Amino acid sequence: MTLQGWVPEIGEFLTLAEVIDLAFDYRGNTTVVKVDETEIEGYVFNRDREAPEPFIQLFDVAGNGPIRIPYSEIRNVKFTGRDTAAGNSWQAWLERREREKADKTARLETGPA
Amino acid sequence: MSVPLSQMWTVATYVLKQKLSGRKRYPLVLMLEPLFRCNLTCAGCGKIQYPAQILKTHLTLEQCLKAVDECGAPVVSIPGGEPLMYPQIGELVHALVKRRKYVYLCTNALLLKEKLEQGVLKPSRYLSLSIHMDGLREDHDEAVCRDGVYDRAVEAIKEALRRGFRVTTNTTLFDGASPLRMREFFDEMMGLGVEGMMLSPGYSYAKAPDQEHFLRRGRTHDLFSKMLSNAKKQWKFNQSPLFLQFLMGKRDYECTPWGNPTFNLFGWQRPCYLLQEGYAGSFRELMEATRWESYGRKSGNEKCQDCMVHCGYEATAVDDTFSGWKGFKDTLVATFTGKL
Repeated sequence: MTLQGWVPEIGEFLTLAEVIDLAFDYRGNTTVVKVDETEIEGYVFNRDREAPEPFIQLFDVAGNGPIRIPYSEIRNVKFTGRDTAAGNSWQAWLERREREKADKTARLETGPA
Repeated sequence: MSVPLSQMWTVATYVLKQKLSGRKRYPLVLMLEPLFRCNLTCAGCGKIQYPAQILKTHLTLEQCLKAVDECGAPVVSIPGGEPLMYPQIGELVHALVKRRKYVYLCTNALLLKEKLEQGVLKPSRYLSLSIHMDGLREDHDEAVCRDGVYDRAVEAIKEALRRGFRVTTNTTLFDGASPLRMREFFDEMMGLGVEGMMLSPGYSYAKAPDQEHFLRRGRTHDLFSKMLSNAKKQWKFNQSPLFLQFLMGKRDYECTPWGNPTFNLFGWQRPCYLLQEGYAGSFRELMEATRWESYGRKSGNEKCQDCMVHCGYEATAVDDTFSGWKGFKDTLVATFTGKL
């Protein structure tokens, strides 16, 4: 299950603070849509909703940062980047390993060509 | 146990000073992560899943040293990512040694031989190359998801020992680990001539791909009891014997999440090396503004219930050593008899 590609609809059932929490937990870039309609794409690595002025911090896609944006300037956060934690590389590794072992055994059994 | 006397003395005097000054919370080991980039993608690792711009970035040398000075811990562990991929690793280690910090450079050793040949690192009693080894050849290569890594690490260990470096190993254990094979592994590592071994159960990182093989508490006790009961005299462990007894189920400890504070590209990580619930801008802010009561087993926090990892519990064990005669006596007995 990944949030990759999700554009949240903030309203009665989903608050901006909840979306920011999900963005903070997301291991990919997101696009922060500001109330002035400008957008900034980057990796949200921190958020503090209990600070006197709640804020997020991010590194943009060029690696510049940390950039601090108050909650009050944010309209939405879109999950636009690839989720780097998605998938199951353990399973993939085991399958590849089994395939390689089977290939090796098959080669040994058939002998040199 | 194999911690050198000078290191024991440094840690002991530091802890006693903290206690005499009435400091309730103090750091013991700084976990300094100069970068997240790694040349392996181990299935149990939750440290490297980041977008490209984060993986390409690293701390500056100045940021690293500022964090070390701010924190004040006598021991600095440099994990990552792979620290040998940090462009200024030589300068960083040199500066830490100059500050008389005991440094554990935690590496998978893939680049170690090359770095040693280039003269990037110099042997010192303050520097221990802590090589990631998760078991015998087949087990290790499976854990790191690449064949051949074990052999390269062994080659690098031999080269480092030949050049006079202190070498230790660090091993993370997952469910399914065989106590018998681990005992064989201990024989093999000691046979190579390493100074000591460090063990810890793995932690179920929310972002790690492999979620099925992390140890639960009961299984941890069982595994460590089987592995370490009747420990051979020649096995040396570079860690608190009380922590190993805790892993065996002989002691009940609570987590000390501030014991191994973590600094990386994002700042001071709250609350610990394993959980990422936010970042503080300074070490002081981390210590003073983190809700420590929300972490550890007794807090009821579900993320902490099965955790028995060294970064939370070894500091507790060390504190126990200096909290009364019993802890002190138990540590001495285990240290000098080797019995756990």
